[in-house]
Amino acid sequence: MAAGRCRRPFGPGQAGYRAFGHLAALALGSLCLAGCVAYQPPQFELNLEGRPKGSVSREQAEAITKMLERLFGTPDQPRVPEGSGLDAELLAMAAGPPTGDPQGGVRGLFRRHCATCHGISGDGAGPTALVLDPSPRDFRRGIFKYTSTKAGIKPLKSDLRRTLLRGVPGTAMPSFAQLAPRELDALVEYVKYLSIRGETELYLLEQVVDEEVRLPLDKDMVLDEGVLPVARAWDAPEQDPGLRIEPGPRPPIDTPQQLADSIAKGRALYASKEAQCVKCHGPNGDGKGEEEELYDDWNKPKKGVTPQQTAELARRFKLPLQRLRPRDFRQGTFRGGIGPQGRYLYDRIYAGIKGTPMPGLGPGPGSKAVIPPEDIWHIVDYVLSLSRKNP
Amino acid sequence: MGKRFTRRDLLVASAGATAGLATGLAVPHVVIAQSDQWGDLVGRLVYDGNPPERKKLKVDKDVDCCGKFDIRDESLMVGPDHGLANVFVYLRSRKVQIAPELAESAPKQVVLDNRDCIFKPHCMAIWYPQQEYAIINSDPIAQNVAFSPLGDTPANIILAPIKEGQDDPNTRATWRFNRAQIVPVPIACNYHPWESAFVLPRDNPYVAITAMDGTFRIAKLPVGTWEFQAWQERVGYLDLPQWPKGRFEVAIRPGVNDLGTIRVPAARFERK
Repeated sequence: MAAGRCRRPFGPGQAGYRAFGHLAALALGSLCLAGCVAYQPPQFELNLEGRPKGSVSREQAEAITKMLERLFGTPDQPRVPEGSGLDAELLAMAAGPPTGDPQGGVRGLFRRHCATCHGISGDGAGPTALVLDPSPRDFRRGIFKYTSTKAGIKPLKSDLRRTLLRGVPGTAMPSFAQLAPRELDALVEYVKYLSIRGETELYLLEQVVDEEVRLPLDKDMVLDEGVLPVARAWDAPEQDPGLRIEPGPRPPIDTPQQLADSIAKGRALYASKEAQCVKCHGPNGDGKGEEEELYDDWNKPKKGVTPQQTAELARRFKLPLQRLRPRDFRQGTFRGGIGPQGRYLYDRIYAGIKGTPMPGLGPGPGSKAVIPPEDIWHIVDYVLSLSRKNP
Repeated sequence: MGKRFTRRDLLVASAGATAGLATGLAVPHVVIAQSDQWGDLVGRLVYDGNPPERKKLKVDKDVDCCGKFDIRDESLMVGPDHGLANVFVYLRSRKVQIAPELAESAPKQVVLDNRDCIFKPHCMAIWYPQQEYAIINSDPIAQNVAFSPLGDTPANIILAPIKEGQDDPNTRATWRFNRAQIVPVPIACNYHPWESAFVLPRDNPYVAITAMDGTFRIAKLPVGTWEFQAWQERVGYLDLPQWPKGRFEVAIRPGVNDLGTIRVPAARFERK
């Protein structure tokens, strides 16, 4: 559907592709019998989501797609922008058609395992996305929910890897634990690549369409202002342990009495004026708090002030508006997982869930802890007790 | 651009323009080199129509605390004498020279207060390399401050309630922006959906927000021809016949440069 809408007029390097297409057709034509179709290399689609039709001129669209191709290449032939720190070898394993390469090397992992839901461009709008709730993650905003980093900080690569290994329970995202370790590394690298590319694209849209900078674009400016700040943001938590969550000491829960005490403390904190968990998750932990109109960062742009505005805005996106449902803890399904001793749950209560209204109780960059980090463990124990799960 | 320059402006501008082009900066407008002459831009925006009634907002959370306040829509603020308030008017041109005394006189902090269950003030500008953003809570309930500036760290902060007679250090966050935005960033409270504010981080101090009488002043601009942007939260770019996309150029001369009164038709703000 919409997937093909913008591709033709805005395709990067149209002339080049046509020439390539002709050559490929000639080559294949001599090998193929009737019914054989020449391979059409897929292209990244320009991110027009949220912008009204006609708000991006053809000249602007071409300037953006050409610059992105110069820096990041194509879905078949990814390129590593200078200074981005991306690993070309890993990207090559994930990129390309899903058929692999003739020498038997690993190629095309992303299209084999991910693109059906997450889309060739990582826009979360692959062919199956329309029927999924929640929608698959759109990587282009550079926001990931399940991380071990502080509020507002990019995920560690090991966090993305964890999501691949565990899957996301309660959603269509399965576990990819059957893949080889290096294949997982390749997919993590490719998600990071699509994400840096996506944020660079948002920067380019801002500069070219909204700010109307003079064309042609200056590559060094795009690298300095677009690519490198994003690459640095990814690198920051890998380098600086201070940006990762440091859990407080875990209170002992070795005896039934200790666990019961921790749960009781957690129950009080859960309802406290400071933590305010009840506001969204409800006094019973069933996800029925007083906040009803909650949306995540991917859906907020589809929401207007009036119903008419919302209808008009939602039409600009490929996927429908989805309201956020705070988790019902009694069901015991935790999308981000529970983790050893409840550590993954702890991290989400500490730093919040990125891209959602869920704020964190632990200290963040520039903000102080709302309750002492060791007390967050009590909330973990209480939340788990609601579904009778033990940490 | 060039066509509106006077001969003198061009002479002043030429050196800087060459420097700007040589470094490949994609500035929308010409860069002026050194200036020791500064001018203020002033003007007044007027709402051309009857001041609209500000709708009372639905306050259905923390009613014990917030229910007692008369909380109304702030998306279109018109003063008693039809002044159009809360319009951001700011320099659009990049890489300008900044009057040295502005760095000394600018307050070190811009404060966003949560008070009486709304954000105060509603509109703020921040010169981010010079100023930090202090986010405080003055209410006896927990508050949340959430914003996602493009290409910058997103914030989703809980501010603990103040306790009686105590200056609780937990009720304060100190935020730093790392990047200029081209339009103001919306701020929301995930606890209280009626709360709203806007902050515009820029890499220069040349931003004004119109007061309740519609007046604004951008002080100590370098002399030269510059482009400005006007933005209002309900309509975005304040598009007027004389200000396409809310943009306009002014040749700033030493002293006060008065744009006079700019009338904005009421129809501009109607919600579909």
